[in-house]
Amino acid sequence: MVCIRKATVDDLLAMQACNLFCLPENYQMKYYFYHILSWPQLLYVAEDYNGKIVGYVLAKMEEETTECHGHITSLAVLRTHRKLGLATKLMTAAQNAMEQVYGAEYVSLHVRKSNRAAFNLYTETLGYKIHDVEAKYYADGEDAYDMRKQLKGRKHHHQHHNHHHHHGGGCCSADAKSDEKPGSAEVKTE
Amino acid sequence: MGASLPAKEANLFKLIVKSYETKQYKKGLKAADAILKKFPDHGETLSMKGLTLNCMDRKSEAYELVRLGLKNDLKSHVCWHVYGLLYRSDREYREAIKCYRNALKIDPDNIEILRDLSLLQAQMRDLEGFVETRQQLLTLKPNHRMNWIGFAVSQHLNSNGSKAVDILQAYEGTLEDDYPPDNERSEHGEMLLYKISLLEECGFIERALEELHKKEFKILDSLSFKEREVSLLEKLGRFSEAEELYMKLLSENPDNYGYYEGLQRCMGLYSANGQYSSDEIGRLESLYSSLSKQFTRSSAVKRIPLDFLSDERFCSAAENYVRPFLTKGVPSLFTDLSPLYDHPGKADSLEQLILELEHAIKTTGAYPGRVDKEPPSTLMWILFYLAQHYDRRWQYDVALKKIDEAIEHTPTVIDLYSVKSLILKHAGDPVAAATLADEARCMDLADRYVNSECVKRMLQADQVALAEKTAVLFTKEGEQHNNLHDMQCMWYELASGESYLRQGDLGRALKKFLAVEKHYADITEDQFDFHSYCLRKMTLRPYLDMLKFQDRLHSHPYFRKSADGAIRCYLKLYDSPPKSSAEEDEEMSKMAPSQKKKLRQKQRKAEARAKKESEVKEESNATAVLKSGKRQVKPVDPDPHGEKLLQVEDPLVEATKYLKLLQKHSSDSVQTHLLSFEVNMRKQKILLALQAVKHLVRLDANNPDVHRCLINFFHKVSSMPSPVTDAEKLIWGVLEAERPAFSQLHEKSLTEANSMFLEKHRDSLRHIAAVAEMIFVLEPHKKQEAINLIEESSGYLSSSNGAVGPLRNWRLKDCIAVHKLLGSTLGDHDAASRWKALCAEYFLHSTYFEGSCSSAVSNSSYHQSHKLAENGNPKISFADQCASSNGSAEKLDSLKSLVIQ
Repeated sequence: MVCIRKATVDDLLAMQACNLFCLPENYQMKYYFYHILSWPQLLYVAEDYNGKIVGYVLAKMEEETTECHGHITSLAVLRTHRKLGLATKLMTAAQNAMEQVYGAEYVSLHVRKSNRAAFNLYTETLGYKIHDVEAKYYADGEDAYDMRKQLKGRKHHHQHHNHHHHHGGGCCSADAKSDEKPGSAEVKTE
Repeated sequence: MGASLPAKEANLFKLIVKSYETKQYKKGLKAADAILKKFPDHGETLSMKGLTLNCMDRKSEAYELVRLGLKNDLKSHVCWHVYGLLYRSDREYREAIKCYRNALKIDPDNIEILRDLSLLQAQMRDLEGFVETRQQLLTLKPNHRMNWIGFAVSQHLNSNGSKAVDILQAYEGTLEDDYPPDNERSEHGEMLLYKISLLEECGFIERALEELHKKEFKILDSLSFKEREVSLLEKLGRFSEAEELYMKLLSENPDNYGYYEGLQRCMGLYSANGQYSSDEIGRLESLYSSLSKQFTRSSAVKRIPLDFLSDERFCSAAENYVRPFLTKGVPSLFTDLSPLYDHPGKADSLEQLILELEHAIKTTGAYPGRVDKEPPSTLMWILFYLAQHYDRRWQYDVALKKIDEAIEHTPTVIDLYSVKSLILKHAGDPVAAATLADEARCMDLADRYVNSECVKRMLQADQVALAEKTAVLFTKEGEQHNNLHDMQCMWYELASGESYLRQGDLGRALKKFLAVEKHYADITEDQFDFHSYCLRKMTLRPYLDMLKFQDRLHSHPYFRKSADGAIRCYLKLYDSPPKSSAEEDEEMSKMAPSQKKKLRQKQRKAEARAKKESEVKEESNATAVLKSGKRQVKPVDPDPHGEKLLQVEDPLVEATKYLKLLQKHSSDSVQTHLLSFEVNMRKQKILLALQAVKHLVRLDANNPDVHRCLINFFHKVSSMPSPVTDAEKLIWGVLEAERPAFSQLHEKSLTEANSMFLEKHRDSLRHIAAVAEMIFVLEPHKKQEAINLIEESSGYLSSSNGAVGPLRNWRLKDCIAVHKLLGSTLGDHDAASRWKALCAEYFLHSTYFEGSCSSAVSNSSYHQSHKLAENGNPKISFADQCASSNGSAEKLDSLKSLVIQ
């Protein structure tokens, strides 16, 4: 019915279009570039039988904090393609990659307080717990739940990494990240 | 840097540089002014001050200072470097490269400048230069990882993959055995995967696989590892190993269709066009039946067989496939099966199958052969499917009957309204479609998807103001509309542009189309920062993908649509220039040449003055912004309605700009060459038009539009006066030589070629219309023959009358085109009204033909809301429309209060 696979650079425009069509939190193309050119393993798409992108997950690693963890920047599934479990499949794929490639301890995300459907998916199907409430997180003044899910622990043999920046301070990382908005994580699901 | 200054000032100079790098511009400015107080002519300080001001949006001051600084210190590499950075910030890359080169003449080993130069070379795809600069950087600093990687990447980009491999090998040779440290593991793994994909690309498949296995423990990304491994095994013909690995990948993700395809390839059971022998089908069937036992939760294993099965096997597989989805209520079922409608017979089978299910549920409440009753919703989803099915088969009346039945069954499901809206749009009533979409929207105001769909329908119905107000409900900030633009919401801009173009508002249409074009320019620019970022991050595989993506960015459909739209605007502008300028032309033509020249000069001067004034204004705005501290204030758009866009000197020159991009990036599209034909015929560029015709005939000689161009072209050139000048004679010669190359015209007159085309395509209205038009073009006195040809064709139309009768071959769009042809090109108003009356009977919902069920007819239920929608007030239309057109008024009433205004 719908193919779940890793996103490629060629999918980004379609992901952006999908995002703009169904979510209120939007990003410029550069932000999508930033994700895939930083953590290429953490972007997944859902593609229907006609080759149309009907859902995606956009995720990243938070590398500045002490505890290495992943973060879901944006997750979307078109309304026409709900009831197929796509959001769950996309999320699971991204979470596995965070853990497996980057050794993430946990994964975090933000969800609108009013978005019950998404909240239920996170708590009941995917095992997220409320970590905190961020007041007026969204641009329209709505609060967000800061949610977290502990990952099962390392499957591979390496220790903490990626706190280390060799050539830091270059224009790019600063530029690319300055696009980042606090109101970025948005979730919409079946 | 700042060498000539005393210690105190030299320190201040360092502070300027540091402030610039850390974006503390005010601080930098202060330091600069402190130096300039003592040394007002210090070139490097003047330059740095300029560069700082540039970041504070004070562009013209910036250029002035930077140029002055350079003038004062031509021997300073800093001044040249800064000048280059300034150009770079304005995307003037070629100028910037020149400046860097000058800086390097003075200081050839300056790492920073070399690095900046290399970034520009990557951006401009000056690949030879890029290799050279990267080599220099590596020679200067071989202990930097980034320089090894950069040199390798440059060689790769410059089509020297094996050299790139050698460089990476040499780099690995510099590393200790226990490399990498923990904090660089994922980066090092990425580098290894890049090297392996390079080996694969160079055709060293064995070596790539060997390397992959050797480095397995250093590659963290196990999915990429396996995907690479399976691809290499397949290429080496080690199919049973590859097969096993595909099975492993499938067990991790049974929803990846690519893996199934790979599996089939390994088993020798894959054909790109989907054609299989009966033996192969048998083997495929048993493969998927065993896979379905293994991957019970995957729908892929059940869906894929529908592609290769046929007849009864197809029917039973399809039935097993659809039943659970209908019970569960999966809205995308029809979309999922829609590719099957291209196979002859499968659409019929599906129709029969679903109708049987409908009948069984309606009579027994259960699926055929089952005792268990289905939930009530199953019938609704069946009706929902059938509505889309008949819509797809152009049987709009049946489709609407089905969807209305579904809505009556359960009036609260939004999807039903969305689909009804789509059917109405296909049936030719965009206004009613917008009304329905608005109903759907009102049912869940928090869902942007239904909002977007509604906006799309409103734009299709040319309700642009209403659409904008509706779209804005989901964009933040005060400047709502800009937000859609800032977020690069291209579908919206394209749909608005099309609507404005339909309505003849060329300025606004151009504005929208060019906005999309601008997004593509921005996306091209976006790559700049990543040239250095990816070398640091080691994300080399996606980086290379990104560069390739950028190289063909302008072939993307959205860009194509924007260029196409812009060119059509310019053509229209050329054909019927705005009145004011036409009048002006008339006045001009009465003047003597010398007077004309004077007037033109005067106009140009006035324009230049206005431009300068507006720049000064912007500058002072920027200063005011700085002082007030509100940096977020956006500059006001000086041309919100695109009026200035209409004041181009020569619309065809503008059109040519975009045409060139289409020719470069979409040369396989018929539309590209149709546009090229139109533009070049108007420009009287006969040979370029000929080239367009040649491309068209090569791409699709049976296309009626192509036929039109072919006939039109040779007709036009045959009516040209005999050549006089040498250039004309040359063109003549080329035409003489080229004409026989068109097989359609071989030893035939144009009239004969036209008749031949008719014989070949007698059953298609579009083709008949093209032939009729060409009859008239070639022999205007045969107009009646042309009209008769069209009118006789309508016999086919009436024979297909009947509710669920034979499929209609006649598309609404084509019938509208024929009506326009009869009415305007052929100028026979009687024939046009006869055609309209005929079509109104068959396209009951068409507003264009004023079909009896369309909102264009006053007694239609949608009429009233149409009127309301037109005045652009969404509030009235929501409530009234929600209440008027179906029985769910009560529920919707409660939503009224939620409408955001």
